[in-house]
Amino acid sequence: MRRAALPALVVAASLLVAACGSGESAITAGQDDPADTDADNDAVATDDADASTPDSTPDDAGDETDGTSPTDSGDETDGGDETTASTPDTTPTEVSLDEYPACPTDALDGADGPVEITYWHGMTADNEEALQFVTEQYNASQDRVVVELQNQGGYLEVIDKYYQSGASGRPDLVMFPEYGFQQAIDSETIVPVEACVRDAGFDTAVIQPSAIQAYSTAGVQWGMPFNVSNPILYYNELIFEAAGLDPDQPPTTFDELRAMSQQIVDSGAASYGIALDTNIDSGGGWFIEQWFANAGELFVDNGNGREALPTEVLFDQATGVEIVTFLRDMVADGLAVNVGDNAGGSDNFLKMADAADPAAMTIGTSAGLGTVINVLGSGLVEGLTPDDVGVGGLPGPSAEQTAIVGGAANYVVAGDDPEVVAAAWDFLTYLISPEVQSEWAVRTGYLPIVDQAIELEPLATTYANDPRFRVAYTQLANSPNDLAHAGPQIGPHRQVRDETAAALAAIYNGADIESTLAAAAATSNALLQQYIALNG
Amino acid sequence: MAAERRPTGFRLVGRYGLLAFVAFVTLFPIYTTLVAAFKPGDKVLVNPLVPDSFTLEPLMTAWSDGHLGRYLFNSFVVAAVVTIAQVVTSLLSGYAFAMLDFPGRHVLFALFLATLLVPIEATLVVNRRTVDTLGWLNTYQGLALPFLATAFGTFLVRQALLAVPGELRDAARIDGAGHLAFLRYVALPVIVPTVGALALFSFLSSWNQYLWPNLITTEESMNTVQSGLTLLRRSSLDEPNALMAGTVIAAVPIFAALLIFQRSLVRGLTSGAVKG
Amino acid sequence: MESRAFDRRRWRQLPVALGLLAPSAIILGAFIVYPIVKSVFLGTERCNASGTRCVEGGWDQYTDTFRSTEFQHALWVTAKFALITVPLGLALGIGLAVLAHKHLAGVSVFRAIFSSTVATSVAVASLMWLFLLQPSVGVLSNVGWIADAFPVVKQPGLLNDPDTALWSVGLSSVWANLGFTFIIITAGLQGIPDDVYEAAALDGAGGSRRFWAITLPLLGPSLLFVLIVLTSRAFQAYGEIDLLTEGGPRPDDSTTTITYLTYGRNSIMATDLGLQATTAVLLFVVLLGLSFLQLWSLGRRVHYGD
Repeated sequence: MRRAALPALVVAASLLVAACGSGESAITAGQDDPADTDADNDAVATDDADASTPDSTPDDAGDETDGTSPTDSGDETDGGDETTASTPDTTPTEVSLDEYPACPTDALDGADGPVEITYWHGMTADNEEALQFVTEQYNASQDRVVVELQNQGGYLEVIDKYYQSGASGRPDLVMFPEYGFQQAIDSETIVPVEACVRDAGFDTAVIQPSAIQAYSTAGVQWGMPFNVSNPILYYNELIFEAAGLDPDQPPTTFDELRAMSQQIVDSGAASYGIALDTNIDSGGGWFIEQWFANAGELFVDNGNGREALPTEVLFDQATGVEIVTFLRDMVADGLAVNVGDNAGGSDNFLKMADAADPAAMTIGTSAGLGTVINVLGSGLVEGLTPDDVGVGGLPGPSAEQTAIVGGAANYVVAGDDPEVVAAAWDFLTYLISPEVQSEWAVRTGYLPIVDQAIELEPLATTYANDPRFRVAYTQLANSPNDLAHAGPQIGPHRQVRDETAAALAAIYNGADIESTLAAAAATSNALLQQYIALNG
Repeated sequence: MAAERRPTGFRLVGRYGLLAFVAFVTLFPIYTTLVAAFKPGDKVLVNPLVPDSFTLEPLMTAWSDGHLGRYLFNSFVVAAVVTIAQVVTSLLSGYAFAMLDFPGRHVLFALFLATLLVPIEATLVVNRRTVDTLGWLNTYQGLALPFLATAFGTFLVRQALLAVPGELRDAARIDGAGHLAFLRYVALPVIVPTVGALALFSFLSSWNQYLWPNLITTEESMNTVQSGLTLLRRSSLDEPNALMAGTVIAAVPIFAALLIFQRSLVRGLTSGAVKG
Repeated sequence: MESRAFDRRRWRQLPVALGLLAPSAIILGAFIVYPIVKSVFLGTERCNASGTRCVEGGWDQYTDTFRSTEFQHALWVTAKFALITVPLGLALGIGLAVLAHKHLAGVSVFRAIFSSTVATSVAVASLMWLFLLQPSVGVLSNVGWIADAFPVVKQPGLLNDPDTALWSVGLSSVWANLGFTFIIITAGLQGIPDDVYEAAALDGAGGSRRFWAITLPLLGPSLLFVLIVLTSRAFQAYGEIDLLTEGGPRPDDSTTTITYLTYGRNSIMATDLGLQATTAVLLFVVLLGLSFLQLWSLGRRVHYGD
């Protein structure tokens, strides 16, 4: 009796508690209650911020503690002419950088000894080893800068630890994934790479324009892309042959994907055409953004968030409904299998290797290609060799195969010491040099962001011998330079992906498409508003 | 002597069978870990229950690439500092509460005990900022600082001292001065078992801290064993044998220590159940 | 009752006492009292990612957060986790302790085995279980007959299936706590004098009757202690969740407990210092409530403390 009392009380208390649930997300906690007085709502806790203040005047230039958000400057530039306006070097009138920390790239010349910088990254496994390799080469190649790598265990840890840290705890150079872009700007802790580019007279024309564009707003490049990837289609050529399909002709559109899946399933060559998932970093989030771009549509308003902080997500509108309906029907009709959350990004590949109920295809990041080939090469999967796996571009709503820049960029962290800033910039330029990009692409499967890299060894040989590695590169190079393909720029990007992932999972389980997407959009919009209130 | 009849025959076999079965289940995760830790990479997923090949390579990898030697050292330093500090601060405050009579004693003691109600997890948000402000992220100070005193230790020491014979306590009262000497030479020897238990308890709690080192460590070299394992798990799931070897390395010191201190361990763990 | 001389002496001892108390008081004040007080106020604010800009949200941020779907879900998950780990841990601990308490040859070996998990930290224990349960590299999914008999271990995996994830984490937690539970209860058993059993045997009480009538009641204080520790560990569980499931599988967040909601790597709360403080304070309040429940429902029946 006695021992049963406590659990019983816990249950009773939990039930009581559950009965007072509001059914609302904590996102709106303390924010949306109409009973709140305006004074309560709008009171600003710290003295340095006022959401409604327009751009700062030039005289507080360079003052880091100034609360005005740098992104506000985006409000005033004309976003209509996006294709040219968003490429920094072609902007007719250069945006002033006076209000941001400077980047004295020649400060290294005055340094007494080697300058040590700390670089936080989130690379793991083979990718971490590749990063260690190129960093050691850098440290050995010159005596002005010593880079110390600090692995935080993953992108999420990098982001969390970076923002939890005060000025003294931050690194000198930091790697954020594409969904950390807006947050990095609003943190007011980074030196825009644009400042370094201008100071050094660096020619960014050698870099893939889409990679630059992805990390730029209103003529200011914030981060330097480094490890760029995009989603590609992996397929089992043996199953394609067994189904009577041409193993050199993977599907390029949604329609072809469905038709070929149908043929595969009908022929009995495999149980499913394709393995899909609902992870926020793949099928439930990132891929959906990719498909929006492929359809030429914006994912959020305000020019995909690139003209001003977005106020509204657009994934619940016609394009979103079409994409999700396509996916749902694939699963509902037995042509695709949903492997669920797919944490770690391997379950969809395992489904391809599943002896009993295999899927013929799956979609994954191009950064996983090296690992897939290594794993198959080790003989882990019986009856499937590395050569049996084909790679195609991402099938989507459009006839063209296009993609948004994924992966991560490096950001120079603002600090008091100009030598450190200059050292960080020096390492940045090393990382995007053709030689390093060539080595890096081969070792990881990320694609080179400088064209010269594909002519250098070892990448030249790899691309010549194994065209599969080239698919992601070609796909990105073919992508138009418009706002849709710049990709959505969202402050609470990860949380918005959370919403789409949850919605997609519910829809796969039978929930109504339009109402589920609408609900996810409503929560996302609350997130956007919340973000504007705190950062706008 | 045995209050029960010794089981015989069939029942005896059954009892041993049951014991053996439960022992097998208990040891199973440890067994599979050991098997994996000594297998080469290409064998680790094949017959994971059978130790059919042997290599020390995963241990080497975990030790060098996983920096586990460094993490063990860090954990030891932090746990030692925390243990010594907790014992000292607890002795001082426990002595004050047990041996001295001063205004506000009961209120203060109640306040001390009240801090036991605060879960450590509720304080870390602010503590991280405090340590950051002090510039002590990635330092031994930062790892140890919030845990240098404990109301639990104060309570233990006070209870033990209250059990000290009255004459000794009177001596302290009359003396008035030389409290530290009295504590050191008269009171401490009497309560050595309690202090030992407290020390063991402190050491284990500190060694097992998980969230705190994960929160304040951003330099790989300043991880403790626990946060180091977290990092290893995030970055090395593709090398399960090295991951398991790292787990073995992390576990061995405590297994060894507990074999040595088995008796005090029981006392240390049960010391929470004071005056049962 | 109190003479003036006595009173004066008390005051004279005050500086000494304060000096002795100071080290503890400063640490406890700075790292327990101050943070909780500070958190209470921080918890009324909403902050940007770096915590440099906060907007006052008002005290209703606590009620809003408490009633939010995220917190309610986490509270429910936490309660379920406690309901899995506490009774199971307690029952197994009692069972093992009684089993190994018999006077059999070689029983000390079994005692050492049953105590062994006390030497595993949460990270060590969780990684061992990760290697057992993980669907691609895990032991269970790579043993042919197990994977055939229970397809769930491979697809989607016990840790990835919303129906089994919390149980899996719970089992690893029960296993990790087993050594501790076993040691405490064994110590309690050894404290029961043999003559009590002898008397009972003379009265003709059988084995199961002796267990219910003598063993359990006399184990009271030990069981109470184990119960309190296991419950608070369940409510503060973090490491096993972080290493085994990261609060997932998503999007159900089947293993996101309150502590994981506060600090977890996928948590929406962890990106907002204010909201994080709100959740941390609510965790405190919930545990405080639990402590009072424990005192109220159990403490009054067992004499505990002086």
